Amino acid sequence: MKKLLAIALAALMSVSMVACGGGTSSSAPAASTASGSGSTAAAADGEKTVIKFANYALLENGYTEFWEGVKAGFEEKYPQYEIEWVTAPYGEIVNQVINQAGGGDKPDMIFGESSWIPTLQDAGLTIPVSEIFDQAYLDKFDPSVMDACKVNSEVYGLPMYSCTFMLYYNKDLFEQAGLDPNAPPTTYDEMLTMAEKLSTLTTADGNKVYPFGQTTASVAISGSAINSMVYNFGGTVLDENGQLATDNQGFKDAITMLQTLDEKGYNPQNAKLKDLRQLFATGQLAMYYDQSWGFNGVLSINPDAANFTASAKPLSGGEGNGAAMLQAHILAYMDNGEERKEGCRLLTEYLITEEVLKDYMTNITPAYPVIEDMKDMELNPVLEGATGATDNVINTPSIPMLNDLNLELCTLAQNVTVSDTDVDTAIEQFNSAAQAYVG
Amino acid sequence: MKKQEFALSVVKYVILSIILLFLLFPLYWVLITSFKTNMEAYRSVPTFIPDAPTIESYIKLFTENNEFFVYYKNNFIVSGATALVTTVLAILAGYGLSRFHFKWNGWVMALLLSSQMFPVVSRMISLYDLMNKMHLINTHVGLIFALTAAMLPFTVMLMASFFDGVPRAVEEAAYVDGATRMQVLWRIVTPLVKPGMLAAAIYAFLMTWDDYLHAVTLIQDDSLRTMSAGVAMRYLGELSYDWSLINTISIVGTLPMLILFFFFQKYMVKGLVAGAVKG
Amino acid sequence: MQTAAAKKEPRLKLNKKRGDQLFSAALVLPTLLITTVFILVPVIDSVIKSFLDFRVRNIISGEPGQWNNFENYTRLFQGGKLLPAIGVTLAFVVGVVLAQFVLGMALALILNSNVKCARFIRSIMMMPWVVPTIISALIWMWIFQPQYGLLKYFVSVITGGAVNDFAILNNPDTALLGVAIAALWKQIPLTTLLLLSGLQNVPEDMLEAATIDGASRTKKFFAIVIPYMKSVISIVVSMAIIENFKQFPLIWTMTGGGPNGSTTTLAILSYREAFVSNNLGSGAAVTTIWMLLMIVVIFVYNRIFRKEDMD
Repeated sequence: MKKLLAIALAALMSVSMVACGGGTSSSAPAASTASGSGSTAAAADGEKTVIKFANYALLENGYTEFWEGVKAGFEEKYPQYEIEWVTAPYGEIVNQVINQAGGGDKPDMIFGESSWIPTLQDAGLTIPVSEIFDQAYLDKFDPSVMDACKVNSEVYGLPMYSCTFMLYYNKDLFEQAGLDPNAPPTTYDEMLTMAEKLSTLTTADGNKVYPFGQTTASVAISGSAINSMVYNFGGTVLDENGQLATDNQGFKDAITMLQTLDEKGYNPQNAKLKDLRQLFATGQLAMYYDQSWGFNGVLSINPDAANFTASAKPLSGGEGNGAAMLQAHILAYMDNGEERKEGCRLLTEYLITEEVLKDYMTNITPAYPVIEDMKDMELNPVLEGATGATDNVINTPSIPMLNDLNLELCTLAQNVTVSDTDVDTAIEQFNSAAQAYVG
Repeated sequence: MKKQEFALSVVKYVILSIILLFLLFPLYWVLITSFKTNMEAYRSVPTFIPDAPTIESYIKLFTENNEFFVYYKNNFIVSGATALVTTVLAILAGYGLSRFHFKWNGWVMALLLSSQMFPVVSRMISLYDLMNKMHLINTHVGLIFALTAAMLPFTVMLMASFFDGVPRAVEEAAYVDGATRMQVLWRIVTPLVKPGMLAAAIYAFLMTWDDYLHAVTLIQDDSLRTMSAGVAMRYLGELSYDWSLINTISIVGTLPMLILFFFFQKYMVKGLVAGAVKG
Repeated sequence: MQTAAAKKEPRLKLNKKRGDQLFSAALVLPTLLITTVFILVPVIDSVIKSFLDFRVRNIISGEPGQWNNFENYTRLFQGGKLLPAIGVTLAFVVGVVLAQFVLGMALALILNSNVKCARFIRSIMMMPWVVPTIISALIWMWIFQPQYGLLKYFVSVITGGAVNDFAILNNPDTALLGVAIAALWKQIPLTTLLLLSGLQNVPEDMLEAATIDGASRTKKFFAIVIPYMKSVISIVVSMAIIENFKQFPLIWTMTGGGPNGSTTTLAILSYREAFVSNNLGSGAAVTTIWMLLMIVVIFVYNRIFRKEDMD
């Protein structure tokens, strides 16, 4: 046994040696498979053109029905097309699409979030929307939302609807704490005063109530949420050219606020948005920041949450005016030939209409319309309190490694909370780590 | 002396109970949580016996979220096929290595042993590429090949150690009677190592039932996914957790392995010991 | 007749040897082929990629990677994530392997010492081992859940309510411990089983003789039991080292490498570089370092063991 192990080690060593030595010449025999059998499925189906649509929402409770309805409705209206879903969960779908594209079988479109656009573009996957739609159609979209979808001043994803990170709060808990359920906080200072009262509450079965939730777990979306909080305080993370710009009071204030919240035990530590939604749904969290559509997650846990949930504009802090980061659900497109691009165009134009989205946006995914045609649409009642939030937004400059930058922001937040590092040291560490991802 | 004996015995049972509690209580906890409603599961003072036992989550699993059973079925197909292929190949190679001693044996063993050490993550990037070129991506066949490769090192050594235990005289007699090498292997020797075959097959089945990374990387079609990948992808969604359901899945996902183990544990134990220790 | 047969024999033997050679080669070939194609080649390819600028866009466009003068490596060393990851990996491996060995040995000794229902206990204690890794991660995540978890409740009861929000996976100081507990839970049964089989090989009569000579328990354990079990122990420990070095799904599911990087092992770092940052070359560089480290550890481990053997 031992002898064998020794031989094995020797073999291993020599393998790595050979590999090191031959590294240059033998280049990668990999990755020569870009083109290939993309449209076999279409051929098998006779004259129907298949549109491959990568969509994580198919796997999420509460969204499936809507998307199946879209498929049925579209295929009925345009019988020459057939939608084929490509599914993977939220956190994996981009990898999935990349993997498939590597195998020469890229989907035609993908449903996702605006923050995914730089990654998809950098991977060489997506094409500008102007290659699919004519200018007249694109002009109908809200230009400030379109700006959020740009990479190098080209729009790489078409927004379906938008929102900001906004405040959801529990009216019942406000009442129990002796607060006015119709007067949510507007500044961080007000919030802290209210939080003090809210922190004394417990739920009926003895669970602690957290006053204020802000996600800080290590997932990219949490980084966006923290970035949005920096905007609340009038700070920046990146400048217009995508260079690091954290040397400002707003940035420091926001990070300090995270530390304060943690020291007082107001914010559930290291929570993902879904953890916050769960706590909020079960009455254990009084206020929290979420994208407007996160409310669907709350409802899927506790349908009664609709009775106690209200929304408010993002808080303002320090020198800031409560600006927030714009978020949008987007559709991005890949090039698989004219025929399929045409299919994507028809599907999109079918999809982004009041007729198709109305029920979805009023009942399932609360959000604000972005296209002129839907301007006067009735909104989900839960959004009432946050009306106007989307008018005070800042767009993040797009950089290819946005994901990594966001994850560094989470690390920074964890550093000042669970790791108890002081704010200045933590920011310094953030700056040196984040430098690798910009410019 | 008696007193000391007694004290020792008390210590022994205390340690035993603590370790057993650590090993077994989590399973009990999962089992009872699966019979609770979410609202009961979320109480701050947990109930150790459900107040209002319910099979709601099981019903939900069987009716609403029945993709789970697609993953389940796929896992049976993939693990079953892998176990079969692996066992056959392991019999051949194990016999070859055990009976015929040539200088390449050392190298073969070295290759097998070292390939056991490579982390799966390290080969996923390239394996994906390779499978793609062979048009095996997103197929059960591709997944089965990749998993078989991962299972072979241990099972080959396990089979070799079982063949080592078969006396040569048995074969020699058969050769004298004019049997060919193949006949000797299949008709004479293999029946003698049935316990080893079973052990190899069950080991391969258990280990591939556990696979996550291969399935996540090599399978993209939801209807082809196996259990670990499917569960991680589908039930740990981004919107929310459903802990009762997750606990139910844990129970249903573990059950076949438990049954398999309890049925065949005699062979398993023997095989594991033989494969690990003698190999 | 006899002389003819005697003459023929050497040729026959030669033929038999050649035949055996061919036969055994044919038997081993399929295994060799599959292992080489699906394990060895990808691993070598991955090592090659670690010297290239190879990103997702290379896969998509089909362009081969470019030699980038060790940049993947230099960037990793300067990035300040590699060394902590190596530290976390070693801490995890050493901690889990040691705890696993001590607890497994304790359990094996107890089960070998005519306790009641030893056979029954031996079979039920194996249960965690057959629980799939992802599911064991879920089980422990549920127990560790910060708001409704069992552990939080126990800690709050034990401390009399002083610590009311114990969340082992949320604290950078304890998160690795949390993951290690889950790893131990799954791995102790097999360790125990193998050690138990080793214990059963220790000859009874030697122990009896020692007892008659008045040797103490501790003395018997170190002078007789351990030497007899040396090979089993060596294998059990090296299996455990390899297993925990490779551990990925458990950590990825439970913590994703957080909080604040406190559970980012080399496995997590490599997956993150490759599949989250989409820099496959850099991910491959991490795995290459990881494999080298593993070789060194196993090598050192063997050296130590062999040395003790000689004493």
